[in-house]
Amino acid sequence: MRKTIEKVYMGIILVFMYLPIVTMIILSFNSSKSRAKWGGFTFDWYINLASDSEIINAFANTLIIALISTVVATIIGTATCVAMMGLHKKSRSVIMGITNIPMINADIVTGISLMLLFRFLHFNAGFITVLIAHITFNIPYVMLSVMPRMKTINPSVYEAALDLGAEPFFAFRKTVLPDLMPAVISGAMMAFTMSLDDFIITYFTKGSGFDTLSTKIYSEVKRGIQPEIYALSAIIFIIVIVLMVGSRQLKARNSAASSKKEISYEKRKGLSKKTILLLAAACGVIVVIGLTFGGVFKTEDNQVYVYNWGEYIDPEVITMFEEETGIKVIYDEFESNEIMYAKIASDNSAYDVICPSDYMISRMIQEGMLQELDWNSLPYASENIDPNYLESAASFDEGNKYAVPNFCGTVGILYNKTLVDDPVTSWDILWDEKYAGQILMQDSVRDAFMVALAKNGYSINSTDPAQLEEAAAELIAQKPLVQAYVIDQVRDKMIGGEAALGVIYSGEALYTQRENSDLEYVIPDEGSNVWLDGWCITRDSKHTENALKWINFMCREDIALMNFEYVTYTTPNLKAQELIEDETIRNSTVAFPTEDTLSRCEVYTYLGQDADELYNELWKKIKAAD
Amino acid sequence: MAKELIRLEHVSKSYDGNMILDDLNLSIHENSFVTILGPSGCGKTTTLRIIGGFETPDQGRVIFDGQDITNLAPNKRQLNTVFQKYALFTHMDIAQNIAFGLKIKNKTDAYIKDKIKYALKLVNLEGFEHRMPDSLSGGQQQRVAIARAIVNEPKVLLLDEPLGALDLKLRQDMQYELIRLKNELGITFIYVTHDQEEALTMSDHIVVMNQGYIQQEGSPEKIYNEPENAFVADFIGDSNIIHATMVQDKLVRILGANFSCVDTGFGINTPVDVVIRPEDVELVPRGKGTLPGKVSHVIFKGVHYEMEVEAGGFEWLVHSTRMAQVGDEVDISVDPFNIQVMNVPASEDEEAIEIDV
Repeated sequence: MRKTIEKVYMGIILVFMYLPIVTMIILSFNSSKSRAKWGGFTFDWYINLASDSEIINAFANTLIIALISTVVATIIGTATCVAMMGLHKKSRSVIMGITNIPMINADIVTGISLMLLFRFLHFNAGFITVLIAHITFNIPYVMLSVMPRMKTINPSVYEAALDLGAEPFFAFRKTVLPDLMPAVISGAMMAFTMSLDDFIITYFTKGSGFDTLSTKIYSEVKRGIQPEIYALSAIIFIIVIVLMVGSRQLKARNSAASSKKEISYEKRKGLSKKTILLLAAACGVIVVIGLTFGGVFKTEDNQVYVYNWGEYIDPEVITMFEEETGIKVIYDEFESNEIMYAKIASDNSAYDVICPSDYMISRMIQEGMLQELDWNSLPYASENIDPNYLESAASFDEGNKYAVPNFCGTVGILYNKTLVDDPVTSWDILWDEKYAGQILMQDSVRDAFMVALAKNGYSINSTDPAQLEEAAAELIAQKPLVQAYVIDQVRDKMIGGEAALGVIYSGEALYTQRENSDLEYVIPDEGSNVWLDGWCITRDSKHTENALKWINFMCREDIALMNFEYVTYTTPNLKAQELIEDETIRNSTVAFPTEDTLSRCEVYTYLGQDADELYNELWKKIKAAD
Repeated sequence: MAKELIRLEHVSKSYDGNMILDDLNLSIHENSFVTILGPSGCGKTTTLRIIGGFETPDQGRVIFDGQDITNLAPNKRQLNTVFQKYALFTHMDIAQNIAFGLKIKNKTDAYIKDKIKYALKLVNLEGFEHRMPDSLSGGQQQRVAIARAIVNEPKVLLLDEPLGALDLKLRQDMQYELIRLKNELGITFIYVTHDQEEALTMSDHIVVMNQGYIQQEGSPEKIYNEPENAFVADFIGDSNIIHATMVQDKLVRILGANFSCVDTGFGINTPVDVVIRPEDVELVPRGKGTLPGKVSHVIFKGVHYEMEVEAGGFEWLVHSTRMAQVGDEVDISVDPFNIQVMNVPASEDEEAIEIDV
């Protein structure tokens, strides 16, 4: 009986720990993009992954960084352990304590302090800074593995070799190192895993134009995580498991060797030699792959630094631009306006071209972070962009001096025709008790308030405290009916039929309709938000001419079309719209809302700091309410 | 006397402010078996390590065969060491261990092969070439360590408590082996130990050390029979060490009784220490000896009886082949030649030594 309980308990714990990973691995073979529906078994995501040059590039970077940092950290860490043996016991434990602190220290602290140091020393953030950071945090892991082994080594063995006439290094190599090797290799494996794993420290030290897998994946969050990422995560998980098991095994043999004296010499010797050979071969292969794909060491002057939303461009377009203009594109992605803002605020010249949204553009204009565009250099933009959208853009960028519209969209209600009988024409339906537990809201301050303000007939840019209090009260009253406040899960839950109604962006709506034909998108009569983002050039851009060429290229109709088909948000490019082959999409009111609908919608504007604070305060109350 | 091979001149060494060696002077002659003997922490191992080159003295010089080698690296010195814990290379077999030094010296394969064979024969380990160190007993490992050292034909072999980790029987066997080896090789052995029996058995010359000072040096017989101070007397074998008064030449008063002795020149009524070895104390019937006493303990030790006799307020340790009964009333008698008279320590250092003991 007790045995059974123990086993069940153990089982529950294992399920707790591994169910998420198992789920992810299963989903990586799911041919449907939905997280709730099984669409059959497929290897497509793995195949797509292999053909995604950006992912492969990031993967190569990850491996090169992991490899070089491991080798360097292993050498430094081992040498430090050797040196520490010469110290007094007390100072040794003090030093060991000091070197252990970085391991316990929060990654964010390490990351930020390294970033500050690099900036202070005027290092260009990129490959080298990430490498230095990884070496830094890897050294303690190597020492942690090597030091205990080092302590078991009889120092007389080294002295005996000296005594027999060996030079110090030869003596070390012949006597101490062979005994140390298993611990050195297991330390190196640990370091490799840590480096492979790291996100936070890399994120803070990487600068622009350089990504490892973890930062690459993170920057794709904006569009929702694609199944390719499940496949990739599954692969990483397997690699980490293999390394961990390998390092464990070495450690086990290592301790078996020291406890059981009769372990045969051939076995031990064979193991370390074979392992070293294998490692060396693997290193060689990885470096070659990395140098081929990574382009780590390529330095060119004719460049343009682009900072765009994740998954917000057809990657093919970048290649085409590079081929046609000969300009090298350093392309980075961000996941929110605020993150982009922070980066540009700390270093204005880090990027040449950025793509902020409406309210952020107005804020950046106010704060003098952008430069005026030379429209004479933008013939495609002048010809192709819908004047209606230019007019909308003028609401936050007077005279269209700073931004060229890139994509736009609306916010509306997505509903499942099989679950909702009533006509959906008003935001009121989100307060209908009939749909309790079936409603999904956007987990973002402005979008949530927009719904309540529009419902009450107020401006969605209201800064009137009374109107905002009223809107907050409405949202609190609605909360018991709401299934969840989410972001990209609206899409998946709606596809899977897990909810009846959801607040969603038009681009996502178009995508969900492709996956589930029962879904319908509506912009309520009270009006809604129309958002717009645009290409802007930073004030201190070092490649203004190239930046203009980039923006102009993006406005060419064939390019805008490619991006539209990839991103599915509304393109303000009239000529691109005409080129759309699929008639239903070309005429879709979801993709291209009518002038009438648009006239009911408002663009978000920057509300100023005081209103921002009030929004956030009320938002906290709403989130805390039951 | 044979030629001087090694000389330590005014050598001092301290660690973290603790004085380990203080102005040490020592001379070691060719082809001798010298033992540095003392309790742990006396500086004997440090002395050996300075000779071996693993430590550099803070002050003083090390002269080897007329040359100053104070700052010479260990791998450049013409001597080899046998370490306390064998220190074999565990990932090499016995032959590879022994060949290590010879390979560094670029000897031919044939020469190395011959040497391995010769060395293994010398230490009675023929046929062990391809065994691994882990598969050998402690005594065998120690003999490999010796073989590994001697194939290099050093002028001096340093041995740092090489028998310390072995059991008693093995230790005794190895003592004879070492004497034999030394005689066959005809080189100088410098041997460090805290075991006085080992020192007495093997050495030509013993250096007794304590707290960084040399207490006494000389032949084993001289050290045993004529200890120069209470520390040496106590450390070398069992002793009765008693405070006494030198009444006049050849007469010493011990615990109120006057004993005849052979020592002269201490002056009149001078406080001294006397050392009397337990086997030199004779128990005679009451009235026939010098000091009356009573037997308080008797233990049978095989070759002799070990007894304690209460006499004059002192517990005398007595070794005798004749047994007495507990409670027997006896007299103590000592041959004048067997009373060793010593000066009472005058300096604070010497005092400290005595208290420490």
